[in-house]
Amino acid sequence: MVQILGVNFHELKLVKKALETFYALGPRTSERILAKHYIHPRAKMGSLAPKTVTALTAELSTMKIENDARKEVQDNIKRLRDMGTYRGKRHGQNLPVRGQRTRTQIWTARKLNKIERRG
Amino acid sequence: MQPTRFLLKNRSVWKGPHIVPLPIVRPEAGKKIAPIRTQARSATILPNFVGLKFQIHNGKVYHDVTITEDMVGHKLGEFAQTRKPFIWKR
Repeated sequence: MVQILGVNFHELKLVKKALETFYALGPRTSERILAKHYIHPRAKMGSLAPKTVTALTAELSTMKIENDARKEVQDNIKRLRDMGTYRGKRHGQNLPVRGQRTRTQIWTARKLNKIERRG
Repeated sequence: MQPTRFLLKNRSVWKGPHIVPLPIVRPEAGKKIAPIRTQARSATILPNFVGLKFQIHNGKVYHDVTITEDMVGHKLGEFAQTRKPFIWKR
């Protein structure tokens, strides 16, 4: 088990995939982080030196990920709603925001478009 | 350049923000001016609109909107809803 930012990862997990489990950290950003710390793209968690692990944790703690990133999304939606825009209202109604049809196929909007958006 | 870039959203730089000639009068001290009645829903809200009152057409009636600082960069039409909410009745 290797711990990064308080989360345990299996030794055989790819470092790139492990980084991508954090919210707001995608393939591009994780690639950049690997390059910055001289880690091979296909490296596994078990092969990391303890020094690199602490460096990665320090790097991630300065970035806007997980709850901070979620908060940003929620703040943006809240701002739209407080201004009284159409987009903000659609978020409040759990309906598509960008003029999609609502007769059928609005599962994604029902799931995601909320004032307190989770994902 | 940066402040103008904010108004562009996804428009190209050479076009600039969508500016519509609106009858905007700077209020003199202590005087109140009538809200600006407009049908130009696609007009970008510029920084000099802040604090002014607009009456924006939604296709049927004019909605009163006071422009705040957050609204800069959005379009006027975003603040006047065009659709009637669907209410199912027997």
